[in-house]
Amino acid sequence: MWIELKSIHKHYGNVRANNGVSFKVNEGSIHAVIGENGAGKSTLMKVLSGYTSRTSGEILVDGEPVYFKSPEDATKIGIGMLYQDPMDFPQLTVLENFMLGQIKGFRNSEKKFKEKLKKYTDELEFDLSPNAQLKTLTIGERQQLEIIRLLSLGAKVIILDEPTTGISVEQKDKLFAALKRLVKEGKSVILVSHKIEDVEILCDKITVLKQGCVTGEMEKPFDLEKALMMMFETESKTPVRSKIVPGKKHIEMKNVSVSGGRTGLHNCDVTVRRNEIIGLAGLEGSGQGVFLRCATGLLKPYSGSVSLNGKNMTGKNILSYQKENTVFLPTNRLEEGLIPGLTIKEHYSLRQKSRSLFVDGAKASSDSKENISKYNIKGDPRTLVESLSGGNQQRLLLSFIPDDAELLLLENPTRGLDIGSANWVWELLQDFSKDNNSTIIFTSPEIDEILMIADRVLVFFDGKIIKDVKTDDTNLDEIGSAIAGKV
Amino acid sequence: MTIIKEENTTISLLKDISLTALFVFIFTTLIITISGAPPFEAYENIIRGAFGSYSKFGQVIKVWIPLTLCSCGLLYTFKINLWNIGIEGQMIMGAVFGMAAFKYIPGTCPAALTILIAFIAGLTGGAIWALFAGFLKTFGGVNEIFAGLGMNFVAQSIILWLIFGPWKREGIASMSGTEQLSEPLWLSTFTKMRISPTAIVLTVASILITAFILKYTKVGLGLKAIGSNMQSAFMYKLKPTSYMLLAMIFAGGFAGLAGTMQVTGVYHRLIPTISSNYGYLALFVVMLANYNVWAAPLVALFFACLNVGSIQLPMVLQIDSSLSGVIQGALVLATLGVQSFKTMKKKRREYNNSNGRV
Amino acid sequence: MVKKLIVILSIISLMAAFGCGDKAEKKANKDEYKFGLIMVGPHNDHGWSQAHYEGGEYVEKHIPGTKMIYIDKVNPADRPGVTIPQIVDDMVEKGAKFIIANSDDMSDGTLEAAKQHPDVSFIHISGDHALTGKAPKNLGNLMGKMEYGKMMAGYTAALTSKTGKIGFLGPLLNDETRRLASAAYLGAKYAWEEVLKKDPKDLKFEVIWIGFWFNIPGVTADPTQVTQNFYNKGCDVVISGIDTTEATIVADQERKKGKKVWAVPYDYKGACKGTASSCLGVPYFNWGPSYVKNIKAAMAGNLKSEWVWAGPDWKDINNEDTSAVGFEAGAALSAENKKQLDQFIVELGSGKLNLFKGPLNYQDGSVFLKKGEVASDKQIWYMKQLLKGMIGQSSTK
Repeated sequence: MWIELKSIHKHYGNVRANNGVSFKVNEGSIHAVIGENGAGKSTLMKVLSGYTSRTSGEILVDGEPVYFKSPEDATKIGIGMLYQDPMDFPQLTVLENFMLGQIKGFRNSEKKFKEKLKKYTDELEFDLSPNAQLKTLTIGERQQLEIIRLLSLGAKVIILDEPTTGISVEQKDKLFAALKRLVKEGKSVILVSHKIEDVEILCDKITVLKQGCVTGEMEKPFDLEKALMMMFETESKTPVRSKIVPGKKHIEMKNVSVSGGRTGLHNCDVTVRRNEIIGLAGLEGSGQGVFLRCATGLLKPYSGSVSLNGKNMTGKNILSYQKENTVFLPTNRLEEGLIPGLTIKEHYSLRQKSRSLFVDGAKASSDSKENISKYNIKGDPRTLVESLSGGNQQRLLLSFIPDDAELLLLENPTRGLDIGSANWVWELLQDFSKDNNSTIIFTSPEIDEILMIADRVLVFFDGKIIKDVKTDDTNLDEIGSAIAGKV
Repeated sequence: MTIIKEENTTISLLKDISLTALFVFIFTTLIITISGAPPFEAYENIIRGAFGSYSKFGQVIKVWIPLTLCSCGLLYTFKINLWNIGIEGQMIMGAVFGMAAFKYIPGTCPAALTILIAFIAGLTGGAIWALFAGFLKTFGGVNEIFAGLGMNFVAQSIILWLIFGPWKREGIASMSGTEQLSEPLWLSTFTKMRISPTAIVLTVASILITAFILKYTKVGLGLKAIGSNMQSAFMYKLKPTSYMLLAMIFAGGFAGLAGTMQVTGVYHRLIPTISSNYGYLALFVVMLANYNVWAAPLVALFFACLNVGSIQLPMVLQIDSSLSGVIQGALVLATLGVQSFKTMKKKRREYNNSNGRV
Repeated sequence: MVKKLIVILSIISLMAAFGCGDKAEKKANKDEYKFGLIMVGPHNDHGWSQAHYEGGEYVEKHIPGTKMIYIDKVNPADRPGVTIPQIVDDMVEKGAKFIIANSDDMSDGTLEAAKQHPDVSFIHISGDHALTGKAPKNLGNLMGKMEYGKMMAGYTAALTSKTGKIGFLGPLLNDETRRLASAAYLGAKYAWEEVLKKDPKDLKFEVIWIGFWFNIPGVTADPTQVTQNFYNKGCDVVISGIDTTEATIVADQERKKGKKVWAVPYDYKGACKGTASSCLGVPYFNWGPSYVKNIKAAMAGNLKSEWVWAGPDWKDINNEDTSAVGFEAGAALSAENKKQLDQFIVELGSGKLNLFKGPLNYQDGSVFLKKGEVASDKQIWYMKQLLKGMIGQSSTK
């Protein structure tokens, strides 16, 4: 099956997310759509998968124009999309999630679906237990399930939106192998990504989007520099690790155990000194998230003690931590950070510090405008946060770091950002840390990023810190094997 | 995205409401016809019963007042995503506290001051009752719906006990209520409409205050934020527990005010059914009004018209007045229907636009 | 398509609605004398409210040119939020010049409405505003001397009872209900001690109050259950004091199960209908003649604010044109006992027998009537307790 897009427009009011996009996706190929944040990639894919309607333009499948009103319609035609945040039911099991949308009538044989699920997992070498509750799965595993579900629904073209964000190297390899196998069977894959290195190893063809328009197409072998030029106005510079002199004890955990997440956190002994920038490495859900939430008072340890600036904080709530100028930015932006249904301006209103009972609308407006331009957020003060693109949501969240923050706990702070933006963010954070004498603890699924930014690395495995090392004293391979549990 | 904002205007809301009303109209016409009564005469009587004279419209206003006050209260709790079904009990306790003030404040106290104290007592009573449910929710982990229903039951038992027990009339034990208040303690009324200016001013003020708090204060924004996503509250240093209790206090306070209003303005005594199910009805009102503070009084007015007007049905047509309940129930169902119809239509329109057809 | 259909439908409905309105307007007859009847229960309850409803129909039949407007089920449970002044306002707007409110529950509301409408005449049934002086000029009270009916009820109950255990299904507690329960007890006591010459100790007369004039689920005790309990406790006759007919219905069911039990309903002449096997008879109100008298007076413009307690026509207590209260013997009453009852009625009517005559003590032992003292109307009207010998609450604690 091949797909052709002809002059696709998608306008939201005055915002032209897609402004006449045309390209062709060949049968049996992996096609990359790249571009910086807000270039219109996600919108285009939502149009293609029936999630949103187009303003104008035509979609041809095997040369025939098609119309669909919903993702279900698109799936019937054979187009299935995997979203950046998988939309599934956390309370149900893998098998139940798999069955959803496929069951017809009242009587359904679980056995039949179990066999079907097993057939696919074997074929694609995925490792999914049918009876596991979905909420215990990593994002990578949820992705695998979603791919299988789409295939089972008859998808011939699979669209993946930033699939390698938030998953482990191992899972990435598995995913890429599976995609290549699918393409060999005659299926097509459209990959939306801002990670040029992923695109290079996986794809057959690249379409570059910028500001809603196609700015270039490329066949293998790719000229990556040229591709980057098409994506960005200017080349960005890579941040350099700054020399840091650790100061007094900032946060100290003694034999802390916390439950939560997939693994919890066990017997954690860590001392972080002021000015340190610490990267937390590990497979997603190995305890890093729990660590950050414990360090900010969101999760309370059931044993051990936590102290901040020498004060015992054990058992205190998040507000006490916030009084000590601790800031936590979670990775699930729309679930734990932003408030869907509220506009950007309302978010700034909420963050106003004044003791007045009334919202200072004028100040909220000026705050919004100032931060929108400072953080390069594509939206205006009245934009609802859920309609911002993932990268812009992340920028908005970063803008919430208060000027007096001393301990920054950042969960995957560059999630969904393209390289240029990520570099810019790190530069900003490094400057901030230097100016304010503040400490940064962050997680990242990319070992490269950790080694580039952090001056100390903690490696998490199964809820424990199994490695605590200065960046200067280690390398990529060592951290890589530590992540897999080999110390 | 601006497109979403544009569709949320008042005009679109009014369109929804009229479309819903139309569905209900057709549905109830069918029901009345099946039951063998002349449908249009029934409607005519309901309308005449609500607007036929000053006193009838005055009666509508009398029902509108507690309904609107309860709706105002519910706007706070709905905002933070709490289903304050306990509003009925909160209204009852407001009436009980208000009555207690009337009973125990000595007659030497000026009537106006007594009434003022009674209102404050009623407000406090409702708020306390709501706080119980709020505490059960926030600290006991009891779903607010069950907590509310439980507290309603307790409130109903308390009011019955008071009326049959300590507050009974001399030598009488009847559920017809306590001894009447002395006339100076009744809310004074316009002669023709029989409605109290005090009550109207209080109600209109309640609407304005609610609108203001929800729109312009941090409390309103905080309620909305926590209601939309409680998980993110910490980012904005909001305490969900405090806000939930605050919303309950507001809801209970307004309901309590409504309860006291029923005592001093309508029945002039305490009766077991002092709340007249207005609390439950207000839940419908707010849902139908799509949680909009300006639409709620209008929907409440409409419901009040139905309630008052439908008394004509048994009087003139000898059919049961529970028809108004049928209409109100059908309205809520139809609202859901209209909403899904709208989504369907919107999808079709977008689809047509995308293909160059209109 | 759908849109057009909706538009057409609504236009048709609106036109029809207005069309009907015009016709209704023209039908109204301006010469009619309208009177309003506000009933606490359903107009077809085979009890208190139906007796009033038929009284209203009697007026329409006997005074040409009168027309009744009525509304039933006016109580806070059936019509929450509806008040008496509100209904009166409406009835007056509909042209009513005379309003009858039929429940003690409406006492305050009627007084309030009467003050608001000085040109309209009001009768509050069973109330005493005219007696206490609270009533304005346009408000009168009317009640039937049901204590006689209740005496007959108690009398037949005791004559028929094999166990000597009689249950009285009481509504709520007030002067009126204490009076009527006591009257029933006096009738029963007389039959037991003076006619049957049985041991006074063997007569057990128990009263249970449900809390209102009829069943309100969740608020009152359930009269069906209360009656069943009476029968289960060994009572074989239950005298109903409530507005509705649960007692006879339960009695009939129990009979079908083989129990030899009876019941005496209340209020409405036709209350025995359908439950003939268990119904001993019914003491009933006949409101028609009193209504006619009052409305005629009002039409002539000389109705006074009076407290009227209308008695039976002792010549024929079941005369529908003259007697305010009556007793309709039921099919379950034996011929022999019927004869005794007729004799009892004659004795009551002649004044030879007066059951409200001392010595009678209240339940707590205090004196109600000294030896030989005959109770005045006021003493009977305001019974402060049940009589000594009765089982049951005199007032709530």
